[in-house]
Amino acid sequence: MTPDPIPLRATTVPECRNCGAGAPVDEHFCPQCNRILALGRYGDFFSFLGVPRKLGLDPQDLERRFRDLSRKFHPDYFYNAPPAERLASLERSSYLNDAYRTLRDPAARIEHLLAIEGLPSATSDEGSVKVPPSLLEEVFALNEELDEIREQRESGGADTQLRARLEKARQPIERKREEHARRIQELSERYDGQSSAADRKTTLEALREQLLEQKYIANLLATIAREESQIGGEVRHG
Amino acid sequence: MGKVVGIDLGTTNSLVAYVQDGRPVVIRDESGDGLVPSIVSIGGDGTIFVGREAQRRLLTAPGSTVYSVKRFMGRGIEDVNEDASLLPFSVGGDQGGVVRIGIAGRQFTPPEISAFVLRELKRRAEEHFREQGEFDFEVDRAVITVPAYFNDAQRTATRDAGRLAGLEVLRIINEPTAASLAYGLDQRNRGTIAVYDLGGGTFDISILKVEDGVFQVLATNGDTHLGGDDIDRLLTEQILGEVGAGLPPQTIQAIRKAVIQAKQDLSEVEEAEIRVDSSERLASGYVRRITRADFERMIMPLVERTLGPCRQALTDAGLEPKDIDEAVLVGGSTRIPLVRRVVHELFGREPHSDLNPDEVVALGAAVQADILVSGRREMLLLDVTPLSLGIETMGGVMSKIILRNSTIPASGREMFTSFADNQTAVDVHVLQGERELAADCRSLARFRLRGIPPMPAGMPRIEVRFQIDANGILSVSARELRTSIEQTIEVKPSYGLTEQEVERMLIESFEHAEADFEARLLIEARNEAETVILATEKSLRRPDFEQVAAESLEPGERAAIESALADAKRAIGGDDRAAIQQKTEALNHATRHLAEVVMNRSVREALAGKNVKDV
Repeated sequence: MTPDPIPLRATTVPECRNCGAGAPVDEHFCPQCNRILALGRYGDFFSFLGVPRKLGLDPQDLERRFRDLSRKFHPDYFYNAPPAERLASLERSSYLNDAYRTLRDPAARIEHLLAIEGLPSATSDEGSVKVPPSLLEEVFALNEELDEIREQRESGGADTQLRARLEKARQPIERKREEHARRIQELSERYDGQSSAADRKTTLEALREQLLEQKYIANLLATIAREESQIGGEVRHG
Repeated sequence: MGKVVGIDLGTTNSLVAYVQDGRPVVIRDESGDGLVPSIVSIGGDGTIFVGREAQRRLLTAPGSTVYSVKRFMGRGIEDVNEDASLLPFSVGGDQGGVVRIGIAGRQFTPPEISAFVLRELKRRAEEHFREQGEFDFEVDRAVITVPAYFNDAQRTATRDAGRLAGLEVLRIINEPTAASLAYGLDQRNRGTIAVYDLGGGTFDISILKVEDGVFQVLATNGDTHLGGDDIDRLLTEQILGEVGAGLPPQTIQAIRKAVIQAKQDLSEVEEAEIRVDSSERLASGYVRRITRADFERMIMPLVERTLGPCRQALTDAGLEPKDIDEAVLVGGSTRIPLVRRVVHELFGREPHSDLNPDEVVALGAAVQADILVSGRREMLLLDVTPLSLGIETMGGVMSKIILRNSTIPASGREMFTSFADNQTAVDVHVLQGERELAADCRSLARFRLRGIPPMPAGMPRIEVRFQIDANGILSVSARELRTSIEQTIEVKPSYGLTEQEVERMLIESFEHAEADFEARLLIEARNEAETVILATEKSLRRPDFEQVAAESLEPGERAAIESALADAKRAIGGDDRAAIQQKTEALNHATRHLAEVVMNRSVREALAGKNVKDV
C-alpha cells in the first residue's frame, strides 16, 4: 500500500479569496481576516503539519497535530460557511488526512521524501519483480525448500514436521528483515543529521534501495505465511 | 430555519431523535414507542401506510406491503435475487440498473419507499415539536445514518431518499460511529473501542480511538447482507421445508411473524414455541417447540460470518483483540445471547450495551446533527471510507486511488492521456472494492471526459480528481493540465438515480401528498380506536371484574360492552375511517359507566389505605 505519486508544483504565495491578502504558503488561515485559505498547492506534508523535514518523527506529536488541525479544518465546522470556505475546508481536510496517513507510516514517509526530492519511487513495478542482488542467495534457498515442503505436504507429510521445516526456512528471511529494519533506522538517523543537500540525497537513494529490498522480503514472508495456512487447516478450527 | 433531527433509517425499524437541552432524546409516540417499523403498505385506494399500520397489513395485504427495503438500496436486480424468493412483493428492474419494487400495481425504487418511512419520521417529529408548543415545528434538515460498510451507491440512494422526503440531508454518518458518539457523551468511554453492530439486515464492525473528544475510526468492515433478516429467513425456510412449498404470501408472512416472535423469546427464555395459527393452505396451523440450544446450532454459521470482518478490521487497524479497551454492542440482533458470547470470546471481555441497542444509533445521529448546526466543537467524528475506490485500467484491472480505511474527507488523483491523435474524449469506469479485477468490484459509475484539446496521442495530461466528502460520497472533476481546460463530466451512476429522476420523483411526491394526508387521518382514527380497545380489554381482565359486574353493572351491560368491543376490533381491520370512528365512539359510550365504576372503586380503595397496585 503506497501513496500516490505527488505532482509537484511551484509553490506560490496564495491569495486569500476573502480579503485579497497574501499568506505564506504554509498558513492555513488568512493572517489578515482569519478565514480558511483555499489549498493552493500540493506537496510537502511536513510543513503542512508543521513538523521538520525529518525521518525520525514522534508519533504522539504527529497524532496530536493531526487532531488539532482536524478540529480547525473539518467540514463539520464549516456547515454554515460560504461555499468557497466550505470547499477550502473539504480540500484542506482531505489533504490533512493524506498527510497524516503518509507521515505516520515510516516507509510512506521515506516515499514522500523521495517524491519531494524528485527521486524515483520505491514502488515502481520492476522493484518487486526483480530479485535484489543482495537477496539472491536467500531467495534461491527458500524457493528450493518451499518446493520440497510442498511435495512433502502433497504426499501426506506430518503437520508438525511441515511446520518445523517452514519455521526453519523462515528464520534466515526473518533475520534479513531485522537487518534491513536496523539499516533503515541507521540511514534515517544519518539523513536527519545531515545538512548538505547532496549528502541527504545520497542517503535518500540508499534508503530507496533498502525500501525496495524490504518490500521484497515482506513478499517472501507472505509466501511463507500462505504456505503455513495450507497445513492442517482443520487444527485451528477445532 | 426549521428543526434538525437525527434519523436511524433501519432495515427493520427506524427512529428519529433530537438534542434537547444538550442531551439527545428519541421521539416517541403516545404509547412511548420510539420504533417505527420500516414497512410501507399501499391501500386499495392508493393511501400509504407506514410503520405499525403497514406491519399489520403484512398479514392481510402482503402483496401491497414492502419491508426490509434497505437491503435493496443502491443495488441492482442481479444482487437481490436470493432475497426476493420469499418476499410477498415483486422485485424487478433491468439488468445492471436500479431495482424496482412492484406493489399494488405501482412501481417504486427503493429510495422512494425509504422516503415514505422518512416522511413518517419527519411527521412524527413535527407533531412532537408542535405539542411542545414550538412555533417553528417544521423539520427540514436531518442527519441520516447508514451501515459503515455501505458503498457509494447505497449512501447516495439514502441521501436521495432524504431529499424525496423533503429533508435536507446534512450528513450521512455511519451507524457504529453514531453509536460511539452517543456512548462518548458521558466521557467515560475513551481509549480504543470496538463497536459491533448487528442489525436487521446489516453487520458492521468499527474500531475507534477516542481521545480529547475526537472519535477517530481506525478501521471498519462488515457485511451489508447479514442480520436478523437472515436468521428469520433461515427459520422460515426450515418450516416451509417441513410443511411443504407453494404456500400463499399471507401464510408465509404468518410463519415469518411466528418465527420472529420465537427468536425474540429465545433471548429471554431457554425454550420457546413457534406457533402459526390456522392460515390459508395451512389449515391445522403449525406448532413446534424450539430450545435455545437448537436455535443456536442453527444460527451459528450466520453469527460466525461476523468474525471474519472483525478480524480484518483489527488487522487493518494494526491491533490485536487484547488492545481493545471496550466492546460495545449495537443493533437488535445483539440481544441474542449467542452473539454476545461470540463477541465476548473474540475480544476477551464482556461487551457492554448500557444504552438501548435499538436507540443508540439515532441518539448519535441527533448529536451529530446538533454539532453541524450549532458549531459545537467539543466532539468531532473522523470516519473512514470502508472500501477502496479506483478505476478500471487496461486489461480490466482495478487500479486503486483511495484506499479503504482512509480517513474522510479524502481525495485522490489519477492522470489520463489519449491513445490516438486528436482524441477528444476518454471513458472512465469508477469502481469500489478490494478485488484485483474490475469485474469483481462494484461498478459505481461510468463517465466520459470530453473536450480534451486535440493533440498528438499521449500528449494530453488529464488530471482526474476523486473527492470523497464527509458523507463518504464520491464526486469527480477533471482538467487538462497543459491547457488548464476544465473537462465536463457526465456521471451515469450504475445503481443510482439520475438527477432528473430525483426531480421527477419529487414532483410526483407532491402530487401524492393528498392521498398521504388521508392515510394519516385513517391511522390516527385507528390509533384512537386501539387505545379504547386496549383500555376496555384491560378492565374486562381485572381479577375482580366478576365482582364488579355483579355489584355495579346493569343487566345486559356486559354483553353490550363485549359486542361494541367486537365491532370496534372488526372495524380497525378495514380501511373505512368513518366506520372506525363510529365504532370507537360506540365503544366509548358503552364503557363509560364501567369506567366510572372502576375509577370509583380505585379511589375508594386508595382512600382506605390500600395500595392501588394490590387491587
